[in-house]
Amino acid sequence: MNRLFSWLSDRLKLPPILHHLLDEAIPGGASWIYIFGSVTLFLFLLQATTGTFLALYYAPTPDHAYESVKFIQEEVPFGGFVRGLHHWGASAMMAAIGLHMLQVFLYGAYKPPREPMWIVGVFLLILTLTFGFTGYLLPWDQKAYWATQVGINLVGSVPWIGGTLARILRGGAELGALTLSRFFAIHTLFLPWLIMFLIAGHLFILRRVGPAGPWDKARAKRISEPFYPKQVFMDAVAMGAVFLALVVLVNLFPAHLGDPADPTDTTFRPVPEWYYLFYYQLLKYSEGPWEPVVTFVLPVLFFAILFAIPFLGRKRERSPARRPIAIGAGALFLVFVFTLLGLAMKETAALKKTDPAVERGRAIYAKLACAGCHRIHGQGAQVGPDLSFVGDARDRDWLIAHFKDPQALVPGSIMPPTRLPEPELEDLTRYMLSLKKG
Amino acid sequence: MVNDKSSSSRRMGGNKKTAEVTRRGFFGKTIAAIMGLIGFGLGIPLFGYAVLPTLKKREEPWSEVGPLELIELNRPKELEVVRSSSSGWMKSNTVRSFWAYKKPDGEVVAFSPICTHLGCGYRWSDADQQFLCPCHNSVFDLEGKVLAGPAPRPLDTLPTKIEGDRLFILYQEFKAGLPKKEAI
Ligand code: FES
Repeated sequence: MNRLFSWLSDRLKLPPILHHLLDEAIPGGASWIYIFGSVTLFLFLLQATTGTFLALYYAPTPDHAYESVKFIQEEVPFGGFVRGLHHWGASAMMAAIGLHMLQVFLYGAYKPPREPMWIVGVFLLILTLTFGFTGYLLPWDQKAYWATQVGINLVGSVPWIGGTLARILRGGAELGALTLSRFFAIHTLFLPWLIMFLIAGHLFILRRVGPAGPWDKARAKRISEPFYPKQVFMDAVAMGAVFLALVVLVNLFPAHLGDPADPTDTTFRPVPEWYYLFYYQLLKYSEGPWEPVVTFVLPVLFFAILFAIPFLGRKRERSPARRPIAIGAGALFLVFVFTLLGLAMKETAALKKTDPAVERGRAIYAKLACAGCHRIHGQGAQVGPDLSFVGDARDRDWLIAHFKDPQALVPGSIMPPTRLPEPELEDLTRYMLSLKKG
Repeated sequence: MVNDKSSSSRRMGGNKKTAEVTRRGFFGKTIAAIMGLIGFGLGIPLFGYAVLPTLKKREEPWSEVGPLELIELNRPKELEVVRSSSSGWMKSNTVRSFWAYKKPDGEVVAFSPICTHLGCGYRWSDADQQFLCPCHNSVFDLEGKVLAGPAPRPLDTLPTKIEGDRLFILYQEFKAGLPKKEAI
């Protein structure tokens, strides 16, 4: 090993390169707080690797996508492992980016001369979110289909250009084969090239301006430590720990594959990945005139502020204690996000606990095409009453009696009597009763 | 690993130097160990994922050909069979042909339609009572035995079975050009 190394080293003149790569001075010395950038990079490489292998068996067309993912998940040896790593790796990457940005923000590391690095970093965040959005559709199961439907409709609600944007995203008027193939192409070809280019830029800038080090200038000057071995060691330990955690997660909670996408089933209620969840929660509170604010103004504002952060304060002060406004605003933002996230998780947890009878009832509702007349949470026609919160208004006995003979309870009703076997009638009623506020 | 005599260790005295060297050694080894662990933890599953499915022997299903009346006594006919095959998640049907006739004792003989020489399609000639391969002039008799030409082995037989009055066949392909019958 050593002889091979010196043989290569003699010919390729490695020492200067290795010196440049490994001996860079870290002001203030190595620290565990610096691991998040490396972990993010590691997770990106993991996503690139597992994604490349997933492409071996994946077919990006509506008639085969679901089957091919099922094949990977259930029949290919280690298929569940590879898909699980890719699934959980995406989440881990979002978490790592969040922590990385938090650390940079806390340390004021975006301040001059590192503004370009921050800006490239925000672009990297946007790319990663786009990766998440485009990748979500690919399994072509119910969740993928309906979550993407919602996502594209959000884009569609942008004033003026929304409709056109949505069409461009979809590849046409409806979500279908063209959408899937363009999401696949964006996810596996366009974005990877772009992100590699930007990651290279991010790292290039890092090497030009050097790591920021601690905010305490005296400390930064006093101690200086080369990147290798201690920081590399810490990075490696972090990567190893993240990898182990992912392997455990994959084994405990395999990546989910629901029912195949069914565009005719409008009762499916999609819940997005956790990193979009706080925004999803915000959407629930925004009806009527507030909707464009949340779907359009807030996201634009959010990214505008993110880009502007290095230019907002003119002071070069980096210590968090002396940047009360920045730190306060950041903390406020975090509290806001985590409150929403908490609320959303509480609601989804409640959603998941719905008993199977409710689920069966929901299926009956879909099968009887009740949505042809009734509306639930914006889905369905408005011929009959809106049933979004019918559980608050009626009790079980009333509903059952009403299903059997609507005119007896509501004179003049145009609803036909529902002739169902008792147990199914019970299930349908249970579903109606589950439609409650809060 | 780059320059062990570099700045950091040069500044230090004798004892400290050895301590620094072992510290460096510990870090280096741990980094290598972790990277190796990740490498194996990822490499082995990925290898299995990519390679193992390609090694799986495919299971040939019996395909139904049709009623027994299709088969004539001692007069081979080219028959078609719909063979369902699967590639990964894709199930598809392909039409294949084969030659078959009935022996006086009722046994059905079926031959793969592929000449054992280089894989051309041969024909039955009623006039000659022989199978003729036009490509390089191999000739086989009713039993499939080579009578002339470059064919290295008799025609390949296919397993058949009869259920009620229906004929089933286990369609297979064999490598051409070998003296021994070998499935692909
Ligand atoms: S292939 Fe039949 S004789 Fe050559």
